[in-house]
Amino acid sequence: MSRLVKKSPSVCTDLPLDNADICNKLRLMRELLGSCYGPTGRLKQIHNNIGGRVVTTSSSSVLLPAIASSEPFVNLIRTSILHHVRRFGDCGLFAAIFCLSLVEQAKQSGLRAKAVIRSNEHLASLCTDYLKQGGCGCKVKLDLCSGRDLVALARSVVSSKPACVLTEPECVHISRLAVRAFLLTVPCDTPGSVSLGQTVRVSVEGLPVTHSAVVPGLLVDTAEDVYLSQPCSLPHPLVLFSASLAGDLSELGDGLIEVHPRVDSDSQVLSQLLELGNQVVRDGVKVFVCQKVIHPVLQLYLTSHGVTVVERLGVTLMEPLIQLTGAQPVATLHSAVQPTAYGQVGGLSVRRFGSKTMLHLQACGESAICTIILCHRNETMLNELKVTCQKAEHVLRLALREPSALRGGGCTETHLAAYSKSEVPALGRGCSQTEYLRAAEAFCRSLESVARSLEHDGGTSTIDPTHAHRWTRPSDVATERRGVGAGCCGCGSLDGRETWTSAEFPPADLLRDASVQPGVLDSFTAKLNALQVAVETANLALDVRYVIRDVN
Amino acid sequence: MLSVKHLHLKHALQTVCTLEAVILRSFGPEGGQVLFTRDTGQAMLSCSGTQILKALRLEHPLARMVVECVWKHSAVTGDGSKTFVLLLASILRLIHAAASKAPGVSQWSTEAAEAATARHLADKLLAFAMTELDDLICVSVAPHGFCVSSEDFTTKTQLPSCPNGFCVQALLSSFFHTRLDYVHCDFLSGLACELLGHWKFQNDTLSFALQFLNDNFPALHTQVSGFPVSSSHVIEGQVIHRDFATPCLQVNNQPVKAVVVTEYLQPKLLRRGDMLDLGCGGRVTGEKSIIPFSAWTERSLESVIATLQSLGVSVLLCAVKQSAAALALAAQAEMCLVECVSEEELSLFVRLSGVAPISDCWMIQPENVATLTFCKPIQLGAHRYVHVAFCDSEERVGVKPCSLVICGSGEVQTEQYASAFQDAIRMLFTTWEPTRMTETTALKKPVQSHQCTSLNAHNLTEDTVCRSSDVYVLKPGCVIPAGGTFEFLLHHALLQHGRSCSASNYTNTGVGVSQILADALLTVPRQIYSHNLKSFLQTQTRVTSFTSNQPHHFMLLKNARGTTEDPEKGDEPSKLFTLDSGLESVSCKHQLLLAVLQCLTSLLRVNAVVRTHTALHSASHTHAKMSEESADDETED
Repeated sequence: MSRLVKKSPSVCTDLPLDNADICNKLRLMRELLGSCYGPTGRLKQIHNNIGGRVVTTSSSSVLLPAIASSEPFVNLIRTSILHHVRRFGDCGLFAAIFCLSLVEQAKQSGLRAKAVIRSNEHLASLCTDYLKQGGCGCKVKLDLCSGRDLVALARSVVSSKPACVLTEPECVHISRLAVRAFLLTVPCDTPGSVSLGQTVRVSVEGLPVTHSAVVPGLLVDTAEDVYLSQPCSLPHPLVLFSASLAGDLSELGDGLIEVHPRVDSDSQVLSQLLELGNQVVRDGVKVFVCQKVIHPVLQLYLTSHGVTVVERLGVTLMEPLIQLTGAQPVATLHSAVQPTAYGQVGGLSVRRFGSKTMLHLQACGESAICTIILCHRNETMLNELKVTCQKAEHVLRLALREPSALRGGGCTETHLAAYSKSEVPALGRGCSQTEYLRAAEAFCRSLESVARSLEHDGGTSTIDPTHAHRWTRPSDVATERRGVGAGCCGCGSLDGRETWTSAEFPPADLLRDASVQPGVLDSFTAKLNALQVAVETANLALDVRYVIRDVN
Repeated sequence: MLSVKHLHLKHALQTVCTLEAVILRSFGPEGGQVLFTRDTGQAMLSCSGTQILKALRLEHPLARMVVECVWKHSAVTGDGSKTFVLLLASILRLIHAAASKAPGVSQWSTEAAEAATARHLADKLLAFAMTELDDLICVSVAPHGFCVSSEDFTTKTQLPSCPNGFCVQALLSSFFHTRLDYVHCDFLSGLACELLGHWKFQNDTLSFALQFLNDNFPALHTQVSGFPVSSSHVIEGQVIHRDFATPCLQVNNQPVKAVVVTEYLQPKLLRRGDMLDLGCGGRVTGEKSIIPFSAWTERSLESVIATLQSLGVSVLLCAVKQSAAALALAAQAEMCLVECVSEEELSLFVRLSGVAPISDCWMIQPENVATLTFCKPIQLGAHRYVHVAFCDSEERVGVKPCSLVICGSGEVQTEQYASAFQDAIRMLFTTWEPTRMTETTALKKPVQSHQCTSLNAHNLTEDTVCRSSDVYVLKPGCVIPAGGTFEFLLHHALLQHGRSCSASNYTNTGVGVSQILADALLTVPRQIYSHNLKSFLQTQTRVTSFTSNQPHHFMLLKNARGTTEDPEKGDEPSKLFTLDSGLESVSCKHQLLLAVLQCLTSLLRVNAVVRTHTALHSASHTHAKMSEESADDETED
């Protein structure tokens, strides 16, 4: 009773966007995330106050969970963006910067919140409708038959993660691996609805990045002195247990069992296990896999009969292994294993990657399971590389559903800004013409500010009036370092030879010949969703009048 | 030692005005939302008055009482919590003004006199509302609205020419305007209409369907975060919020047989408290090993699976977590198994499929086997769920089951949309609540109401209001254009009522009461148009000019059949009142007024707060009740 305390009243913040503290936090968050954006983004080190591991990153999926704020208003924006990143795996920083600068611009404009919200919504639907159109100037059709487009898409993801610390050839290598792994997970000849396979990621520390590889089949952790049965041409039968084989009987219930000293339960259970092993050996099984622990005596028995034993597989690898081998998990100890439960392994070999020894299981026929081995020099970079590969895979899968991409490098943003400026204002309810025009101006400025955040080396970003692409004029220092002039626009489809003439919309489209594909591509689906989520979140933030915090 | 704090009228006024100030930020078309965090750290976003007030965790006993009243009201009707506080504050203000003007009696202190007058007024207001408000609304407000019949739950796509086709949508849309971000209201109300259209039971009333939806809403919707709201949709069948426990997923479009299991498939040998004695020299069983027992449970499981297989079952929905052996055997028998399905979802499944769940696995009958059109995994956001659809549910239950997928950019938003949906269903239920004779309606004297309502509108009452034995009863489904129309009309009616009463030599007090109520009602439209006073005056002029000049020209619809037969007539209200302002339910408004006045009387009956000192300080909300009870026998000091 003495521990019970009275509930204290809640803490209330009126009009959070007028609160200087909250505004500062939002600005800080925008600057923090803005400085991470793009291939030349600055890295952030995250470490907690109790001496945890230091993480170096510039990726939104790692940064956003780490920068939790005590202010619920800031967290509202953060979690919305985070949910987008978790669903789509890309364009998280774009969404965050766009959303935060929309809020900031709306506040600076001094317009009524409701008017800004309505105009923003209108402009966002204008932009999404435009992007979905066939003749949209910033959309590029992806050719799934050629690997080049896919590699370009994957490369934009990989190169936008500077914390991986990859050189140019390494970057290309990783992009190719990502595409290769993705292609291996697409099943070849299955009629009807296709379900994609799975890529298992294995990371090896200490090896150069170029040692990374993709192998079809599964790599399973195994003991150093793994026993391999004699290579024979036939596919090896495999048995897969999902129940523990350590000799415990967990399914008896909650009651008590009283055992008299003369009864030796352990040996009784063990002999039962050995009987099971005996049957498996008689059936000619060559690979024995268990999700949980195997009794050492049973292990010894099996290895002495020429069976390769893998224990503690873990629940995550169960499903890929089942798909790979066609085995059905067994969990009964007292009855004989059904012949239908056995699976087949096409190839079995031991592979060594640095310090790791792994058993390589290959499928008999076609299978959509593959493993990607990622190598890097240290753990921090390796973790970032893992995140990057995961994102690249996600982006490639999204492209399968909607085979288009958007021009990267800030050109889509500037193009959209030019488009929304050119549109005739359609007046909605509760928003006057002046209000709409000013809100539209703020919206375009926010879009352009996202494009501008790509530049971190002190260069100046410009937008050409002819094509509405983004160009960068580097400062002198940067020119020396990079060695490339200002020859290209952001997405790499225009070079400096074009002359800029008109300033009308739709901008001139000189790229009808497909040979000039942009070099930097963004995922269409992810960016479209990011745009919508950013506007929705910004509207919500503008609509909040009170923050009530229960401090109990 | 008790500390007694006397409460005066101004305390009550102060408290309620503070609450009003909080509520006003999110009231009306310019109102915004409120973000709050719970003590668990979970963030919530809301525009609902109840949730905002409850989140404040107020300490003042009077304030807590008001919050309690608001909460109780909105738990029933799902609507009107912000207007509640607004009306309460404005009535209190008017009462305060009236009481301070009242001639003071010398031997009493002015404060006590004020309190007495206020209390008296409040009682009379309540008495007035209980006896005459019903008739006033029926006679002079309801005829200006129209009845939306329950057949109008078809979506806008079906009858675009008929205005009633989108009446329900307009009603829902204006409800969502009070609860959500402005931009998505039309989309969400369309979605809600679609859902209601699917869930319309063929053989039952609308309120039955609404009640069913309200009860099963948690099982009928899925929240998905990370997508824009516009990705929300209605899907056929039911979504079970669990993933398959067995990796075997056959994708075939044959009808699938499923059973619901509430117990373990593999029998537990020993229950809690049981004891197994092993190796005690062959006394009872002579068993010296645990192995036969363990083997028995496995054999028993095998025979259960074999029985299921012989019945052709391929989907098992289980309420509990099954053993690894059960999963493995089910997978080998090519059955899909779903574990730990929540009780609500199972009961909904049982209801829709029409089969009995199995508790004893030895007693499986063919009657336990449900037939599904399909049973497949569905990926919604981060989670993979099980999606089932029922065969011939239309013939059996008379309904086409479907579920709602609510998308939003974060959990906070989806949570808000879901709660707004549920409240919308409650609001509709209140609107279409079957008319029942309340005691007050049945008991009151019809003579009195005839005397007082000397309105010119007796002839137009018969359409939205049915007269049963000289008592007016509001028909279910009566709606009126939103944006203050109800308040303007009732204001006008109350003023006329007051005039007619004073003309017929009625006591003077009745006039005061209806005047107070009439003035208080105007606060609501005044707040709605607070940013634009011009449109306040315009609307008021328009509404009052209709009532005085052309009382017969409003849409008079007997029922839905009248609507479909006569679409020209149906177009009328959209000319008179601009329908884009939305619609609101008359019965919700009526209940709201009654609830406010009840709250007012109980608020003014309290005259002191007694703070008791106990080890535990958390029971302070009972103080208000204590003093309320004791207020009657206590004398002023």
